[in-house]
Amino acid sequence: MKSRARFSTLRRWLALLWLAGLLVAAGLAPVLPLPYAPDAPDLHAIAVTPLTGQHWLGTDPLGRDVLAQLLFGARTAVLVSLPAAALATLLGTILGSAAGFWSNDNIRIPAVYGLAALGVVAFSFVFQLSSGTSILLLGIIAAGLSLGAARLHRAGYRQVVALPVDRAVLGLGALVASVPLLILALTLAALLQPSPAGLLAVLVATYWPGPARLVRAEVLRIRALPYIEAGRSLGLPDGRLLYRHILPNCWHTISATFPISVATLIGLETTLSFLGVGLPPETASWGRLLASARLAPTAWWLILSPALAILLTTLALRQLSNTVSRNPQ
Amino acid sequence: MGRFLLHRLLRLLPATWAILSIIFLLSRSFSQQQLATGRLADVSSTAHSASGAQRELAERQLRARLGLAEPLFYFSAAPRATAGLAARWQWNGTTNQYHRWLRQLSRAELGFSFRDEQPVTALLQRSLGYTLPLTAGAAACTIGLAWLAAPYLGWPRRRRSALLSALYLLDALPLFVVALLLLLLLANPDMLAWFPAYGLGREDPAASGLAQLQFRLYYLALPILALTLVSLPALIVQLDAALRQELRADYVVTARAKGLPEALVMRRHALRNALLPALTLLTELLPGLVAGSVVVELVYSLPGMGRRLAEAAAAHDYPVLLGGVLLIALVRLVAQVLADVLYFLTDPRIRLSQ
Repeated sequence: MKSRARFSTLRRWLALLWLAGLLVAAGLAPVLPLPYAPDAPDLHAIAVTPLTGQHWLGTDPLGRDVLAQLLFGARTAVLVSLPAAALATLLGTILGSAAGFWSNDNIRIPAVYGLAALGVVAFSFVFQLSSGTSILLLGIIAAGLSLGAARLHRAGYRQVVALPVDRAVLGLGALVASVPLLILALTLAALLQPSPAGLLAVLVATYWPGPARLVRAEVLRIRALPYIEAGRSLGLPDGRLLYRHILPNCWHTISATFPISVATLIGLETTLSFLGVGLPPETASWGRLLASARLAPTAWWLILSPALAILLTTLALRQLSNTVSRNPQ
Repeated sequence: MGRFLLHRLLRLLPATWAILSIIFLLSRSFSQQQLATGRLADVSSTAHSASGAQRELAERQLRARLGLAEPLFYFSAAPRATAGLAARWQWNGTTNQYHRWLRQLSRAELGFSFRDEQPVTALLQRSLGYTLPLTAGAAACTIGLAWLAAPYLGWPRRRRSALLSALYLLDALPLFVVALLLLLLLANPDMLAWFPAYGLGREDPAASGLAQLQFRLYYLALPILALTLVSLPALIVQLDAALRQELRADYVVTARAKGLPEALVMRRHALRNALLPALTLLTELLPGLVAGSVVVELVYSLPGMGRRLAEAAAAHDYPVLLGGVLLIALVRLVAQVLADVLYFLTDPRIRLSQ
């Protein structure tokens, strides 16, 4: 039992060490004294094995240094997936907590205001139309508004309508989830110009439903606990209840899944780079390094080093997630 | 059951329609921009050594040929020059690209490729012929292996955890890395050259049906193996968790007490109940395999759906890309309905609650 505990501590330290090394490599890659630049071909050494000359990890079929590409690839992986995971988690937390907290019938606005806002939007749109069809549209909108007003008159002007926050968020999530993650990211990345910012936007836009669903479930669970009821009976406003009393208790779940999100997004980024979409072709990435291995099928060093980098990073991130979820603070 | 399925479909269809519409509108508005900057298709070839008027004419012709001449949607923003306060929006009626696309879609037409002007439906059909055996084979292998591995999950802790950590390691690698590693290990003259590294080979038309099948399998073995290895861990881990739950139940104790062999206890009793949560994973499995075929077909140079999709994405050939996404969205829809049907058949409680 004791050896197992020691083993798991060792594993935890190894994971932390690897991740710290990765961060340092990502941060210092441009200033490290590397003998070669990542995108500079060395035409005297094309696809050479590791430890020839100053190419410690060999070169790819275009003569680019593998070590430099690995380090700059680490930089790309960190600079793309870390902000993407943070933004997707933030967006998911905001939408998911709103959906879980207010459900479908807890944000109510007086129906009068709703109808008035609808009317203003519709009319401002139609008045800006240029062609002759606007008369027809104007008629339709006027008819619809007067119908609404008639119903409101019958029901009394104090009538309120509820905003279906939960349904809207779940529907938006289902929309994104109706195409597999890789395909959706591939399609969107193909539409945009290849750039790190575009890739970041694509990753956030496709990945947020996961964290959102998680936070929503967590908020739903906590909302039913007695201390929230106590807070309500004290007359705390909704916003304060949500941000001071519910979200801090979700923090543990969110922080335990964050490393997993980073790992998934690193996998997605490298896959997209491997397929040649998303990042400009001169940006070094582990995926691109592996793609160059297709030009030289027997070059084991081109596959092993980036594959090991991806494997160790993913395992370390999972270990981190395990550590976080076992030690609630 | 019919009503149950109809209800599910009515809930799933709008999301699929909406995401496809969004992708359509995005792709068309981007292709307008890219046409203007000359990045799309073959504008650049006519752009050299032509006067301004000629270039404009060529661009207009290309626009008409690609179906980009009409306005994009039912209404559009009027050009800045004419935009006063009174006219910022323009109503286009039904002569717009979106309306035309929907009408084509209702007749199961998907338009023409930007690159070689072939009908997208024909292109997709041809490539599906290569992808279907691949994904179907991988799905069959995954489910079969999970079924075979299930009894071993009842093993004592130490041996089971070895199996699980192997799967855990496998799960940490993206599909393209697994595919490349397999290539390095099993299709490499320096290591083991058991399998061909790429392509489908040239079939001998005179060979018998069985020989042709063998030939096909020989070339598809590595791609199927890669897909199976990647989709297996999630299924097994889920199955393992569900089995842990079930093996603690009283009915398992009863089954063991009456002297049933362990394998039978697992297969006949615990596994049947543990399958329920794993069924939801099947929903993910099919679309995941189709998505995975993008990577696998590119690595192994197979002329299938996925490769066409990836190439269309890289070459900005939007009609083909959109057609592929539509097909995959449909696969997901079908998988979801299939999972519902399976749930319906395996869990009597759903039937009773109707």
